[in-house]
Amino acid sequence: MSTLADLQQRFQQSILRDHSTPGLFAAEGALLAGGGMGVYLQAYRARLTAALGDNFLVLQRALGDDAFAVLAHAYIDAHPSHFRSIRWFGHRLVEFLAAAPERLPHPAVLDLARMDWAMRTAFDAADAAALTADDLAALQLEDWPQRRFTPLPSLQMIDLAWCVEPIWKALDADAATTSEEPKPLAHVLLIWRPTLDCCWRSSDTCEAAALRALTQGASFADCCTVIAESGVPEPAQTAAAFLQRWIAEGLLGKE
Amino acid sequence: MRKTLNGFGLGLRTEHYRDFVESPWHVDWLEIISENYLVAGGKPLYYLDRIRRDYPMVMHGVSLSIGSCDALDSAYLRQLRALVDRVEPAWVSDHLCWTGTGSLNLHDLLPLPYTEATLRQLEPRVAQVQEALGQPLLLENVSSYVRYRADEMSEWEFIRELVRRTGCELLLDVNNVYVSSVNHHFNPHTFIDAMPLTAVRQIHLAGHEEHGSYLIDTHDQPICEAVFDLYLYTVKRLGSIPTMIERDDNIPPLAELIAELDCVRALAQRIQTEQAA
Repeated sequence: MSTLADLQQRFQQSILRDHSTPGLFAAEGALLAGGGMGVYLQAYRARLTAALGDNFLVLQRALGDDAFAVLAHAYIDAHPSHFRSIRWFGHRLVEFLAAAPERLPHPAVLDLARMDWAMRTAFDAADAAALTADDLAALQLEDWPQRRFTPLPSLQMIDLAWCVEPIWKALDADAATTSEEPKPLAHVLLIWRPTLDCCWRSSDTCEAAALRALTQGASFADCCTVIAESGVPEPAQTAAAFLQRWIAEGLLGKE
Repeated sequence: MRKTLNGFGLGLRTEHYRDFVESPWHVDWLEIISENYLVAGGKPLYYLDRIRRDYPMVMHGVSLSIGSCDALDSAYLRQLRALVDRVEPAWVSDHLCWTGTGSLNLHDLLPLPYTEATLRQLEPRVAQVQEALGQPLLLENVSSYVRYRADEMSEWEFIRELVRRTGCELLLDVNNVYVSSVNHHFNPHTFIDAMPLTAVRQIHLAGHEEHGSYLIDTHDQPICEAVFDLYLYTVKRLGSIPTMIERDDNIPPLAELIAELDCVRALAQRIQTEQAA
C-alpha cells in the first residue's frame, strides 16, 4: 500500500472511530496547532447528524434534538455514507429502526420516519406530465382492456401501522406542537408530486392493490382482476372510479 | 471557445430561490453546488432551470475527491457531465482535497499531504476529470486544521507545482488562505504571492468562526476585516478576477448578501481605479 493510501486509511479510521491516530501529524497533543484532528472528528458527526435531520425533520422534532443526536450517532457508526451527495444519507434509517425498535420511545415513531423518507423521495423524484381527462376521453373503447396506466415516478406507497399523519402534519408545521398518542391503524399511505409540491393521503386495501398492480405494469383489465380479487362486487366500475380520482389528483403519468 | 465570466457573484441557495425568480438582483453570476442538483426532478431542477435563464452560472462540487486513492467515480462523473450539459456553466470547480477512501464519503474536505507522491497521484486524475466533463477544472485550496508529518513542501509550493504539471486552473478561496495561515502560522501574503498569475480564474470570500488559537471555516457569518484586507492584497496582485461570497449557514435575507457583495465590488473597483491612475 502506498504511503498516501495508508495515510488516508488511517485518517479515515480516526474519523470513523472518533479518536485521533498518533503518528500522522506534524505536531500532536498540546503542541498541535490549528485545531487539530478534533475539528474533523466533531465536524463529521455534526455534519451527518444535520443531514439526517434535514431528511428526517419530523422524526427529529418528535424525538427532540438530544435523543435524535444519540440515534444519529448510532446510525452514522452503523451506516457510514457511500453517497456523493449527502442528500441520500439516511436511506437505511427506517430499516435500522425497524430492526431495533427499542431505540424509539413509541412504535408509532417508526411510521413518522417512514413518512419522512417517502416525502423526501417524492420531493425530487423524476418529473412527468400528468394524464388528463382529455387523454382518457381520446382512448378508443377497444383499447381500454390492454391500456397500461402508469403512476407518476414520484408515487410512494408505504405501509403504516399507526395513524400518524395528523402528528406528522402538525410537527412538520411546528416543532413545538404537542399531540395525543396515535391510534393503531394498519393502512397504506400514498405520497406523490403532481408538479412541485408533494401530496399525500391514505388509501384502502383495494385501491392500494390496484395501484401496486399498475406500478408493476398491469393493464386496465389486469387491474380490474386485482380489484375483483379483493372482494369488490363491481370491479370495472370501481376501477373506473379509481381512474377518475387518480386523474383528478394528478397521480398518473401520460406515459 | 473558452467561456468567460466577469464581475461578482453569489452561491445560489434554496432560501433565495423565490427572490431570484421574483425580481432582478445586482449580481453578475451565480455558483451552484453541483451535488444539490444531481437529482431526477422536482423543485431543485425546476428552480435551477428557471434561474439559469437570468444568470450565468458556474458549478462547484464538494465530492469529486480528486486526491483520494480510490479510483475516480465514473458514475458521478457521468452525472456531473449531464449537469454540465444542462447548465452550460462557465467552468466547473471542486476542492484540492480528498473526501474518503474505500468507497466511503466522509462529506468533509480533507487536506492532502503536500508530497511528490500526491502530485503524481493527482496528475492523471485532473486530466481524466477534464476529459470526462469536457470542461476546464478549477481546484480550490481548502482550510485545514492539521499538517502532516509527511509534508515535503508548503501548500502554495504544492499548488504551483500542480498547476505547472497539469494545467489545471484555480479557485482561490481567500478566506481559506486566511484560516489556514492563522491555524498553521504562515504569512498569507506568501501564499497569495506564490499563486500563478494566469491560473486563478475565480475567488471565494466567506466568513469563519474564531476558536481561541485557531479558526474554523464555517461560512456562517459576514466576511471579517482581515479577510477583506487579504482580498484587497490579492486584487492588487492578481487583478480583476470573478469574485463571490459563499454563505452556507445562518443564511441572511438575499438583500443583506447583495449589500455585502456591493462592498466587495466597491473595494475591488477602487483598487482597479487606483491602479489605473
